[in-house]
Amino acid sequence: MSSHARVPSAAHAGLASPAQVTFSPAQLAEVRRLQGLYPDPRAALLPVLHMAQDTFGYVSLEVEEYVAGLFALSPAHVHEVVTFYTLYFQTPKGRHVVAVCHNLSCHLAGARAIIDHLEARLGVTVGETTDDGRVTLQSVECLCACEHAPMMQVDERYEFDLTPEKVDRILERLR
Amino acid sequence: MPKLTINGREVEVPAGTNLIEAARALGVEVPHYCYHPGLSIAGQCRLCMVDIEKTPRPTIACNTLAADGMVVLTETERVKETRRSIMEFHLINHPLDCPVCDQAGECWLQIYYMRHGLYDPRMTDEKVHKPKAVPLGPHVILDAERCILCSRCVRFCDEVTGTGELGIFHRGDQSEIGLFPGQELANKYSANVVDICPVGALTERDFRFAVRVWYLDVTKSVCPGCARGCNVEVHVNRRRPHHNEGRRVARLKPRFNADVNKWWICDAGRYGFKAVDDKTRLREPFRREAGTVTDASWDEAIAAVAGALERYAPDEVGVLASPRMANEDLFALRRVLERRGIRRVAFRVPPAVDGDQDEILIRADKNPNARGAELLGLDGDAAALLAAARARQVKCLWIFDHDLLASAWPEALVLGALGAVETLVWVGANANATSERAHWVLPAAAWVEREGTYTNFEGRVQRLRQAVEPLGQALPEWEILGRVLEALGAGARPPRAERWFRELAAATPAFAGLSYQAIGDGGQMVRA
Amino acid sequence: MTAEKLLMRNFDRADSHTLEAYRATGGYTAWPKAQALDPAAIVEEIKQSNLRGLGGAGFPTGTKWSFIPKNHAGPVYLVINADEGEPGTFKDRYLLERDPHALIEGMLVAARAIRSARGFVYIRGEYVEPWRRFAAAVREAYDAGYLGRGFDVVVHRGAGAYICGEETGLIASLEGKKGWPKLKPPFPAIKGAFGAPTIVNNVETICHVPHIINRGAAWFAALGTKTQGGTRMYSVSGRVKRPGVYEASVAITLRQLIYDLAGGVTGNGRLKAVVPGGSSAAILRADEIDVTLDVDGLRNAGTMAGSAGVIVMDETVSIPEALMVVARFYAHESCGQCTPCRESTGWIYKMCHRIVEGRGTKDDLDKILDVARRGAGTTICAFYDGAVGPYISYIEKFRSEFEALIPT
Repeated sequence: MSSHARVPSAAHAGLASPAQVTFSPAQLAEVRRLQGLYPDPRAALLPVLHMAQDTFGYVSLEVEEYVAGLFALSPAHVHEVVTFYTLYFQTPKGRHVVAVCHNLSCHLAGARAIIDHLEARLGVTVGETTDDGRVTLQSVECLCACEHAPMMQVDERYEFDLTPEKVDRILERLR
Repeated sequence: MPKLTINGREVEVPAGTNLIEAARALGVEVPHYCYHPGLSIAGQCRLCMVDIEKTPRPTIACNTLAADGMVVLTETERVKETRRSIMEFHLINHPLDCPVCDQAGECWLQIYYMRHGLYDPRMTDEKVHKPKAVPLGPHVILDAERCILCSRCVRFCDEVTGTGELGIFHRGDQSEIGLFPGQELANKYSANVVDICPVGALTERDFRFAVRVWYLDVTKSVCPGCARGCNVEVHVNRRRPHHNEGRRVARLKPRFNADVNKWWICDAGRYGFKAVDDKTRLREPFRREAGTVTDASWDEAIAAVAGALERYAPDEVGVLASPRMANEDLFALRRVLERRGIRRVAFRVPPAVDGDQDEILIRADKNPNARGAELLGLDGDAAALLAAARARQVKCLWIFDHDLLASAWPEALVLGALGAVETLVWVGANANATSERAHWVLPAAAWVEREGTYTNFEGRVQRLRQAVEPLGQALPEWEILGRVLEALGAGARPPRAERWFRELAAATPAFAGLSYQAIGDGGQMVRA
Repeated sequence: MTAEKLLMRNFDRADSHTLEAYRATGGYTAWPKAQALDPAAIVEEIKQSNLRGLGGAGFPTGTKWSFIPKNHAGPVYLVINADEGEPGTFKDRYLLERDPHALIEGMLVAARAIRSARGFVYIRGEYVEPWRRFAAAVREAYDAGYLGRGFDVVVHRGAGAYICGEETGLIASLEGKKGWPKLKPPFPAIKGAFGAPTIVNNVETICHVPHIINRGAAWFAALGTKTQGGTRMYSVSGRVKRPGVYEASVAITLRQLIYDLAGGVTGNGRLKAVVPGGSSAAILRADEIDVTLDVDGLRNAGTMAGSAGVIVMDETVSIPEALMVVARFYAHESCGQCTPCRESTGWIYKMCHRIVEGRGTKDDLDKILDVARRGAGTTICAFYDGAVGPYISYIEKFRSEFEALIPT
């Protein structure tokens, strides 16, 4: 559901080049703190991958290898984790991620029309990022805010009770 | 020890035995894909369902331990129907490419479909497409569409080698085994994943399209690649000699031995058989005089060797035996030495580079029978022997198998010794730089062409068996040495390897009580 | 029916998520009482209350707690399943955002009952705001000395995978792996997170615990049916006038929930079908809604209470389209571990998609039914059985609607 048919270059998304894939000393201390929270340090893998994505923009293969090193894991096992979960981006994503729920309640409330509207407005199809690197559009499974269907997640925020007009207002805020 | 009933028959198994193994103990096969006795339980394939009394529905046998009083049925209608369903699930996205699949003939999808499937296919939608013919490393090639995601290969790399190269990426029907992009499956045991792959997803690059498996004949033997003595099967292509580029040995497969190699062999051992059909193989005895090579008959060659042994004083003869020779060969050699009173004997030639060793199977000593040579009393100072040759104290040097010019010894010292002796006799299967300098070269049968035993580093005596006829006129060393003994007037030689072993066992305390029958397929320990 | 609200009693307060508000409304009064109780007595109290797991499986909570081996020497973990993901369900989001301290107090009591010194709260990755709210409440609870004195709480974020709501998938994910459910046996209570005895409970389930300690098992049990005590939070969405979360007894009927609490049906106003317990629950027809919503009531009606996510469909809704949407979900979320689920969720989605597009064939419907039935009960976890619920019920109950889409 979240394939990336068209991938913008890393440069315009303001992302670190592979050579810069290292955490700062403060971040490394945070990695160690997270690892210490669990009986097995590996349990901090998901949180550290979140951190890595926030830092480097997306979880590139270089990031996977780097994180694998921090956990003494084989890169293949980190790759398994990264490809299993939907929230890790393996290719550069837009500055904003717009994820429209297409599951049952939102479907009943017209999610398809919202997605169509977004595709038209952004000039991309689901899974793609706008050419200016501003927005990656996704259509996702239930975000568990069905009482406000149709709904979507814009970056960290849930946006409820969508109409095309409301979607337009939300898009205007995204720079 | 729990006692349970399977299909109406009682069986007692060690505590901790699962129902697949418990059934196996009764000769009852519970079909399965993901379960492998050498790996952790995954429980993914869902094929090994059996009925257990008082459980509401079929249960996977791999994750169920035998319990006292358990009543298990493996062939109820419900179980058979479940198996048929699971077979269909396995084949939904599996390509129908058996005609071009190397696994055909030893594919557990084919075998189980015939035994437990036989439904009418009804998947008419587009199958999921995944990468095909992807080389994973030097030995293994992947067809992800054929993969049934049993995870055996992943678990092998995690649990046996600890290298973790493989993973299952993505999820749902997009799940796919593979490597971290850019990495290779190049661990020292990589090709074992081909053996444990129940389908045609992982196949051997070396064996790919070489010969159909149903043309292969199988012989139980022992890998000569190091002192571990991993049990192997030698797969020989006799029936389609024009296939496999004319090579007789098509592949080696590990053979289970709980005490030696479990289910595995290393890649070096697996692909170490190439010398057997190599062009360096020696086919006829010959002599070399002033750089001119002349073919000789065995009678001439034996007479020449025996003549040299008699011509020189015992102290003028040096023998460099090989830890690649079998126990029978070494014992026959000892008989020759005893007959002539020859004392200068050794077998350890230091390798040019130290062998690698690990905690799994691989031993630094790349010879299969150093322990046997020790136990048969052939240990000596090889460097001193060489020095004696250089000093012309040794006039006749008899070398088995070794290439001293590929050893750790300085080339000048070796050449000095080889050049100083009056008679250099060399016995072995493949020509090398040392045999190139011998006055007499006697072709030996390769390990797959003969019977014999090796004693591994732990003292386990194991049999190698003849899989193919010797090339040309090559003979097993025990036969060559037996003929020399006869020529030396020792009387009739034992006609078979087994007879040599009987004599060996009677004469050598460490081997007392052993026989080919007792050694069997799994080997027997020498006396401590 | 409009019973006293327990879980949602503070939801109207703007500051309901704060320690101050929680305390002001009687919060953290159960914990001192629980501290005076023997752990076994707490377990017994929960058993007597008939509290049942509200995440989906409906297993008796006290009984689950009693599975922790007695006199276990090593660590025991309490894991809270806040990986809310069942389509149609949104109650835990409210609890995390609006009453996080109820969860913390419930965890304190539960941890004492199972002798756990460390708890993990696994929150789905998409729930950023609920995670912030809950993490802030945990900090408050540390500062106030509720946490950090014999019991610690680690807040853990998931990364997007429905299967991590399955308790062993959650454990695997918590351990830093793919969310592949684990083989049972061993059950988590014997060998769970990090190899230690572990209890995994849903957010809402644990939020009930302080009330039970404060007011007694008998009181709680009396709120519900004979086999299930208390209230629960119903998530109502779809074609209703007032979608939202409603707290009511487990003994109310589906009709009462739809018409009395949620204000009735929208669309053309005529009810066609209801999903009563999240998308994994078998669908009910309009004439099947006079059932009580407790675990056993819905089980007897051939469906399940699940997570109490109620999705209402009026007559204008296309059931085949709805099934296609649901089938897409299961195909996307199948973890890929067990063959039947991995291979058939995708296939069934392809068939549903074809049917909706008018490319179905005569035998597709029976094929889907047969494949679903054959796969049911053959996998490691209940995910596939959850998919089978809609596959079978949508087609069986609305077959003519599917047939109408298939070219003759």
